Amino acid sequence: MANDDPLEARVIARVQDGDAEAYDVLVSKYLPRVIAIAWGVVRNAHDAEDLAQEAFVRAYQNIGRFRTADPFGPWIGRIVMNLALDVMKHRRKFRHEELAGTEPAARRDNSDVMAMSNDIGTRIDAAIEELPEMQRLVARLHLVEEMEHAEIADLTGLSDGTVRSHLSHARAKLKEKLADLYD
Amino acid sequence: MTDDEKFFERLRGDAASLRYRADDATLARIGARIQEQIAPNATLAELLASWFRPLAAGLAAIALAAAIGLTLNTNDSTFGEQQVEIVMGGDTYLVGD
Repeated sequence: MANDDPLEARVIARVQDGDAEAYDVLVSKYLPRVIAIAWGVVRNAHDAEDLAQEAFVRAYQNIGRFRTADPFGPWIGRIVMNLALDVMKHRRKFRHEELAGTEPAARRDNSDVMAMSNDIGTRIDAAIEELPEMQRLVARLHLVEEMEHAEIADLTGLSDGTVRSHLSHARAKLKEKLADLYD
Repeated sequence: MTDDEKFFERLRGDAASLRYRADDATLARIGARIQEQIAPNATLAELLASWFRPLAAGLAAIALAAAIGLTLNTNDSTFGEQQVEIVMGGDTYLVGD
């Protein structure tokens, strides 16, 4: 995938030459999206912000290996996604309620309320949260972040077929749970 | 478009409102924290510059003072070596040295 933004390519080249301040251009451009991706996985504003910060710092530390011709967005997206999935693994390991399938809403913090814009939104959010983990992740990226299959596959490291399969199962379950929503 | 597709189109439209949006203050705060973390080399360079700048200025002042002092001293010595001719009553006297 080539970088079709010449300004971004120039900024990346400057950062690779040691211009740390130029990195701010990339941070400003991608930070909201990176936080949103992290939040979609960890569902906690504080953790999402920390993960976004960590992702940008790691990307900067490895910017020398990054090909200037590639777009920065998918790369930083993959970094934050991996970090967020690590957090989820960590949570699963140490939280019994995760293993026992306890209502996920119990681990939301107050800041999550920010994203709940209305009743329909609340119902959709609850339905997505009830899905098994990978279906939930893929459904959230597709429905909430409006990503296409290929983008989700690139971000998560799953194959396109696996993404389609998760999404197909997720859609079936969501249709069942939310059938009355658009009658 | 099938009913199924319509359903998911509408679902996707409504689900987009669930996207988490960090406010401007949060974005600025995280951006500043990232800059803090990635600029240790620049900070070190600035630290060294802040140490060496007054030192260099002090050394330059001392060198300047020494140069001025030497110049004055040299001029004084030159003046002291000059002889002044005084003519009095037809006789010429040399003063100095």
